[in-house]
Amino acid sequence: MEAVFSNLMLGFANALTLTNLVWVVIGSFLGTLVGMLPGVGPATGIAILIPVSYGMDPTTALITMCAIYYGAMFGGSIASIMINTPGDASSIVTCFDGFRMAQQGRAGAALATSAIASFIGGMIACVMVVILAGPAASLALKFGPAEMFALILFAMTAAITLAEGKLLRGCVSLFIGLLVASIGIDGQSGVIRYTMGIAAMQDGIDFLVAIIGAYAISEVFNSFAEKDVVYNIDTKAIGKVMITMEDWRKIRLPIVRSTPIAFFLGCLPGIGGSMTSLIAYTTERQLSKNPENFGKGDIVGVAAPEAANNASATASIIPMLAIGIPSSGTTAVMLGALMMLGVQPGPMLFEMRPEIAWGVIASMFIGNIVLVFMNMPMVPYIAKLLALPQKLLIPIIICLAFMGTYMMNYSAFDFFFLIMFGLLGYSMQKLDIPIPPLVLALILGDTLEKTFRQAMVAKSGSLTVFLDKPIALGFIGLAAVSILYSLYQSRKASAKAQETEA
Amino acid sequence: MKDLKFVFAAVVTMASLVTNASAKDWVPESTIEIVAPASPGGGWDLTARAVQRTLTEEKLVNKNIIVSNKPGGGGATGWTYLKGKAGNPHYLAANSSLVLLNNLLGSSELTYKDFTPIAMLTTEWISVAVKADSPYKTGKDLLEALKKDPGLLTIGVGPSLGNNDHLSFVRVAQKFGVDTSKLKWVVFEGAGGDVVMAALGGHVGLVTTALSETLTQHKAGKLRILGITADKRVDVLPDVPTWKEQGVDMVFPHWRGIMGPPEMTAEQIKFWDDAIGKMVQKPGFKKTIESLNGQVYYKNSAEFKKFLEEQTAALGPLVEQLGLRKK
Repeated sequence: MEAVFSNLMLGFANALTLTNLVWVVIGSFLGTLVGMLPGVGPATGIAILIPVSYGMDPTTALITMCAIYYGAMFGGSIASIMINTPGDASSIVTCFDGFRMAQQGRAGAALATSAIASFIGGMIACVMVVILAGPAASLALKFGPAEMFALILFAMTAAITLAEGKLLRGCVSLFIGLLVASIGIDGQSGVIRYTMGIAAMQDGIDFLVAIIGAYAISEVFNSFAEKDVVYNIDTKAIGKVMITMEDWRKIRLPIVRSTPIAFFLGCLPGIGGSMTSLIAYTTERQLSKNPENFGKGDIVGVAAPEAANNASATASIIPMLAIGIPSSGTTAVMLGALMMLGVQPGPMLFEMRPEIAWGVIASMFIGNIVLVFMNMPMVPYIAKLLALPQKLLIPIIICLAFMGTYMMNYSAFDFFFLIMFGLLGYSMQKLDIPIPPLVLALILGDTLEKTFRQAMVAKSGSLTVFLDKPIALGFIGLAAVSILYSLYQSRKASAKAQETEA
Repeated sequence: MKDLKFVFAAVVTMASLVTNASAKDWVPESTIEIVAPASPGGGWDLTARAVQRTLTEEKLVNKNIIVSNKPGGGGATGWTYLKGKAGNPHYLAANSSLVLLNNLLGSSELTYKDFTPIAMLTTEWISVAVKADSPYKTGKDLLEALKKDPGLLTIGVGPSLGNNDHLSFVRVAQKFGVDTSKLKWVVFEGAGGDVVMAALGGHVGLVTTALSETLTQHKAGKLRILGITADKRVDVLPDVPTWKEQGVDMVFPHWRGIMGPPEMTAEQIKFWDDAIGKMVQKPGFKKTIESLNGQVYYKNSAEFKKFLEEQTAALGPLVEQLGLRKK
């Protein structure tokens, strides 16, 4: 433990120079800006920095990248809360309650909650990295295809059960998502599926395009269709920025609870912030005394996913540092940049270049602290943007949605998907079909299928492969329980409804 | 003596003036764009950026150079963009064996013939590795076992069948007499990371992937590399034998290079041959490539073109035979 402490101090000594602090501030600011644009996530933000980082000392480069990473996460949440458009995949869940809060005139509180929850989640996760990096990395190695499949299955059932009493509708949404996720070249066999001969569809439909469509564009359609316009926000209330003591009492436990779950999920390769934040959200909803408030502007519905996505972003550093393998797109870019700077990542990094490894961890602490101090004062100004008249706000949203879509693949073909998913999202809202299962299926459907088939190869296609894997069996069991529990609940609810009718 | 120097300088100056005036040498007239047909951080991107950096720092090109990322379609998106710049030598793109494999596999109409090969720049070698506690100590052990029972072990590869990692091991196994149609392939999404994770966790029996992915794990004693596709042992791993040494006569580079749009003139090709020929000599370039675990493996435009022709002839039948070609 003492050795850990002195190593961490070495990291801080390396990270806390004036130059580095200046870069942290620049990085946080840039990251927040980049994160706010839908479709442009932290990976792009860091990639933009790569050419600038050539002249830098490796520690400075790393610390700036961490700052961009965290900044982009916060920026993504801003977009979710303000315009119901996730800036990146990990802030999708923040839309559910964040945007509703904004509509109720509590944008300031939602933004502040996001900043605070991210800060606490990030800090706890940093401490956990210091203490648990080794064990967490070996846990991550235990997750092979079979375990991964079972975990995703569990996450998907959790998403279906979100829409309480609408199990069937949840399934419909999930299956649409899975169907869309299967478009493109199949990785295992190389067969091209459902592309209708269109070359642009060979890589499948980018899930972010679908998500921006289903959330942002569908809101635009909504605002055209409805008389009581969607973006009509109680402008008088916007001024009230900070969260109240009562809010704090509500969110403190969920933040602390969400962090460890997200931390362990974040260590696993291929599990992004979107899934961890969703699992944190569903867990909190199940623990809540008023689960019916979720999705209608419950502050806990912002706090839990925000703490979770920062914790998982922090944890995703572990495989990169401890094993030398990036577990997310963003860490992959960071790894590439590190190699350009002559740092050889791998299992030996902690021994060979402790100043780098611990420097990364120290810079995550610093990035978190700087961000919260930078962002809290910005909150009221950001929140005021919502006071813009609707005729300005809607064109801005359309413009951002199209820009973000184009920037993902530089393909104008994606605009069709954007609009199609806008229509789909709008119809689903009208038909009272929940959107979250669709979103999760879009993000993870591909991995679900791949991991299932990877697991199958070993036993030449026999399902018994899951029987000798306790972790996988455990998650499949949890999935079954969560479906059964929600069936039981909806039966109870309908029995109650009949009683009251009678 | 002093006079002589002066005369010499004068002659040189005049000679250079004369050549400048007489030959129709082409030099860039505007900003150069190097297309990386992938997302930032990948091999193509890092290669393109290494080229950009060296050409700029060493002042081999007197115009601005930018790198643009155009990911999608296994390179097709970026290369289609390049093809659209026919005859404009200010556009270049990073490439690799995918430029011919995509076509052989039937997933793209584009092939190297649609472009002007400029240079092969770097290569990585491909390694076959097992977990450190595996009973197989040498490449031969492993191949013997697979010869007896091809379905004995699962083989991790990524991101798709028909790539270098896959084809190189098929060739090794074929040459050893393994029934390659019965091998159990597990395809992972990420080319290196996911595959190595699966090997470290014991979720696959062996992996075939870039040496750079397995190198540090081998050195840390977590994985054991049994063979590499190089022509001779590599400096960073003197203890690991090549396949050639183990009786399988096969060398398989995983190369990266750079190409231009179609319809470039001889003068334009010459400019790039000169600039890039000088670039690969620079220690800065070499250092960057080595820090990315590659090695400089230069072929000029003519040699590169010939290599592409030979590779197409060698890999085409193999892909057919494996049933990987999409109709």
